[in-house]
Amino acid sequence: MESKLLTEHYDKESFRTLKGYQELGGYEVLKKALKMKPAEIIATVKESGLRGRGGAGFSTGTKWSFLPKNDEDRYLLCNADEGEPGTFKDRLMMERAPHQLIEGMIISAYAIGSKKSYIYIRGEYTYPIRVVEQALREAYDAGLLGKNILGSGFSHDMDVYRGAGAYICGEETGMISSLEGLKGQPKLKPPFPAVKGYLKKPTIVNNVETLAAVVPIIRDGAQAYRKFGTEKSAGTKLFSLSGDVVKPGNYEVTLGYKLSDLINNEGGGLKSGRKLKAVIPGGSSAPVLTAEEAAKATLDYECLQQMGSMLGSGAVIVIDDSHSMVDLLSTIMHFYHHESCGQCTPCREGTGWLDKMLHRILLGEAKSQDLDQVLNVAKNMMGRTICALSDAAALPAISFVSKFRDEFERHLKEGFKEGKSHAQMHH
Amino acid sequence: MSVVKRPSSVSQWYLPGIFVGLYHTLKALLYNLSHRQKMQTLDYPEEKFEYSPRFKGTHVLTVKKDGAIRCTACMLCATNCPAQCITIIASEHEDPSVEKFPIAYEIDMLRCVFCGFCEEACPVDAVRMGPEWQIPGISGTNFVKGIDFLAFRSQLKGGISSVLDDQERHGQGI
Amino acid sequence: MLKCTINGKEIEVSSGATIMEAYHKLQEEIAYYCWHPGLSVAGVCRMCMVEIEGNPKLQIACNTPVAEGMKITNESEKVKESVKWTLDFHLINHPLDCPICDQAGECGLQEFYMTYGKYNPEMGDRKVKKHKVVDLGSQVVLDTERCILCSRCVRFTEEVTKTNELGIFNRGDHSEIGTFENRPLNNKYAVNTVDICPVGALTSKDFRFRQRAWYLKEFETTCNGCSTGCRVNVFHNQNGLFRVKPIYDEAVNGHWMCDEGRDIYKHINLDQRLRHSKAGAQQVPLEKALETAKQALKAAGSSAALLITAQYTQEENQAILDFFSNELKSSNIFYWKNNEETFEDFDGLLIRGDKNPNTQGLMNLLKEKSASGSWKDLKAKVESGQIKTVLVAGPEMLSVYPDLNEKVTVLSKTQTIWLSTCEHEFFDQLSLQLPVSGFAEKNGTYVNYAGLERKIQAGVKFVAEALTLQEIVSAFRGANVSKTNEVAL
Repeated sequence: MESKLLTEHYDKESFRTLKGYQELGGYEVLKKALKMKPAEIIATVKESGLRGRGGAGFSTGTKWSFLPKNDEDRYLLCNADEGEPGTFKDRLMMERAPHQLIEGMIISAYAIGSKKSYIYIRGEYTYPIRVVEQALREAYDAGLLGKNILGSGFSHDMDVYRGAGAYICGEETGMISSLEGLKGQPKLKPPFPAVKGYLKKPTIVNNVETLAAVVPIIRDGAQAYRKFGTEKSAGTKLFSLSGDVVKPGNYEVTLGYKLSDLINNEGGGLKSGRKLKAVIPGGSSAPVLTAEEAAKATLDYECLQQMGSMLGSGAVIVIDDSHSMVDLLSTIMHFYHHESCGQCTPCREGTGWLDKMLHRILLGEAKSQDLDQVLNVAKNMMGRTICALSDAAALPAISFVSKFRDEFERHLKEGFKEGKSHAQMHH
Repeated sequence: MSVVKRPSSVSQWYLPGIFVGLYHTLKALLYNLSHRQKMQTLDYPEEKFEYSPRFKGTHVLTVKKDGAIRCTACMLCATNCPAQCITIIASEHEDPSVEKFPIAYEIDMLRCVFCGFCEEACPVDAVRMGPEWQIPGISGTNFVKGIDFLAFRSQLKGGISSVLDDQERHGQGI
Repeated sequence: MLKCTINGKEIEVSSGATIMEAYHKLQEEIAYYCWHPGLSVAGVCRMCMVEIEGNPKLQIACNTPVAEGMKITNESEKVKESVKWTLDFHLINHPLDCPICDQAGECGLQEFYMTYGKYNPEMGDRKVKKHKVVDLGSQVVLDTERCILCSRCVRFTEEVTKTNELGIFNRGDHSEIGTFENRPLNNKYAVNTVDICPVGALTSKDFRFRQRAWYLKEFETTCNGCSTGCRVNVFHNQNGLFRVKPIYDEAVNGHWMCDEGRDIYKHINLDQRLRHSKAGAQQVPLEKALETAKQALKAAGSSAALLITAQYTQEENQAILDFFSNELKSSNIFYWKNNEETFEDFDGLLIRGDKNPNTQGLMNLLKEKSASGSWKDLKAKVESGQIKTVLVAGPEMLSVYPDLNEKVTVLSKTQTIWLSTCEHEFFDQLSLQLPVSGFAEKNGTYVNYAGLERKIQAGVKFVAEALTLQEIVSAFRGANVSKTNEVAL
């Protein structure tokens, strides 16, 4: 059962225009918010239990409260880089409901006292960029952005900034570096962005969905938001369901929804004749779940964390028995090798090493000791780097090889059977 | 009671000792005359002693497949040499995959103690202790031998190939 | 001030100091590549991991500020395991270049390998191939395969010289150091990048392949290239001097030195030296030369002249000036300035226009003696015949005295005793030449542009007959200063 807090009007063509958005109650929440005090808005968001929807799952209200309480300029950055493989929910929102995002951002900017914000959209999203830019123009024309918004005395400017093809620019300090015109490489933390971020000023980086969720929270109140979801994971989330399901797509459900229900009800189940083999619940960085684990899983932060995986960005990739786990892992490792920024040594060299090893394993030119080697290398890449890309590369390697060890061993003995894999085509 | 066997007074007499010695010598002579094949002495230079492959003789500087000297002038042999008899002058090579090579590699043969430490130290099998041991010369002869002698003397027939090939190693991606 | 405990030892550091600075102060061993006390923190090598009590995750020491009462260790098994693997990651694509790499013996990877290394390389895949022997300009050669991407050189050109020539191109394990559009790295401090590079990725063209690091001994002295007086380390063995590197000195040069100073060792080597006294073009024994000079000066008495440059130590200046004013009772002391118009030039970092190490010191002594003569005055007196005997304390660094030939021609018309470190065929016109020690062969003091005393020490002795000015003066006073040994090349 879908819960349409955000996606209620996504099927209406006019929802992306300012006129259509306002006809369906758009920007009323902004008017309400501008009458509240900024501290009230932060308190409401904190109470609602909203957690970062981009992957980290950090409490949004708490993140906002890290900002210094002085007059210093601060920035709000919307992370629309959506680099996590398997994720395509933000794209949907930007294409169908850009004003929802803009309204959420203006309210959030008002709450944290920011005069300037950027929407960092990945360069490949040429169509969403056009839609959002058009929406911004409409908002400026209607006095919803710029000086003295709706006569409240609050001024705010918002711009779109394009990425240029780097997954690492979805990392918050990588994005800040990219916005500053530098190479998109993450910065050392401490200092944290809330203290010293973009242009050395306090900065808040939030995901598209997180900022858009501020709208229903302020509209209906924190308690109404808490009615959805579980105690620790409140509210609804957009899940990008893909893979071997009949109806892949974006579905908004409450947190705590059963994973198997999402796959079988909303997703229409597996294609006929196939059996479920594995599910990646939160984008390629999340450790994979076997079919048995997937049957028990519920889509909230706690349950998946207990199972050793993570909710991540909500990209649910369903894998049935027609796929080779070796092939899949090889593709994932190639991705991380390509996307590593190269700053710190364990990630730079480790991703390359894992890619080469998996390639050899895929071609059947490896031994069983090489599988242990993969586990060893991945284990020793974790926790020693500037950002989490190293962990994101190591976790799938460890989970795939540990949980599907028999399939890997069999592959080494028998070799690769079914045609050319994606990874083979690229080497 | 002393356990040391002291020579008896008879054996200390002069002439009996000489006769005993002569007796041993004649015995050996007669034995050798009747067993000529088993004599230890070699009729050098017609017969030469066969040394083992591990014999440490005159140094050999090996060459690469293309005939160039294998040595990369790392100077590990010169450092390890206990007699400090090796002098190397390094130089830049135009080919970036070779990069460094010796323009002068000299071993002072009179200082060398033929210990083999240089062969042990070399990481690329560039210097070996070869099987020859004859480097005759009279006083005034220059015993400091350079690359021409060590790598390309006529006995080596154009140069001994090294077992470590950089091209092969690079080709395997190491 | 904050107190913390490092490997069981207590230390106090100032507020805001990082753990790495505390380790440095305590001189405890810690592995690191990208940190440098003279550059900003990069935190990219991930070698300086330490374990802080109360924190389950290892932290890097270079970017973590010290808190009061912190207990830090880098000797636990967890830290050693982390450093071992991080070092291994550094080595998996590193080329097997130790035999041909200049950095062997002083290489960061070799150094930590013995303490933390894995010894059994497990990487069986192909290494990444990159550009080798890239010419980066007049002083530096780059090898991008050896580079461990610590970014020290990039930060150096960004923060110290502010010329921004170097950058990192591409991403991931195909990253390479390079210059934009292959422009050369030609700022005047380029060789400092060779010093700070922990591996053999950046090598000095001047030093390349000339010696192995373990064959060299070193001694500390002061550069005599200009009036800044940077503190330097001179490397040598029995075959000569080979290179000059900077030593950290808080008051004058910090961590760096300029490229001009890198060449100051060349004139001390035997091939450029004046090895024996000469009368005209003929070699004469040292005792005879000293005797001739002594007699000539004594005979001239108060009309003897001294032409002095600011290239000698205070002790030498004092000795020769005293000899002239007290024994010869001569007031004909002339100061030879080479390029007065550019003396006040300063490039903002280290290089000054006054290419003499002891200008301030000499001027102070000349003021005491009330000697204010210059070359012009001497020239006039020589040409008029007033002065017939000149002792010239000639410059050690001939290249910064471009008008040598003109002055030698003037002085060759009268009896001139020229004291010189180096040989120059033009000097053979003069009546007498005596060899003197170079800056690396004597103890003494220079006074730099700011009035600070800069000490030099005698680390080598290549020319047996070379004397300091004090020794020459004591020979004039009757002492025996003959030398018997000379280093053979």
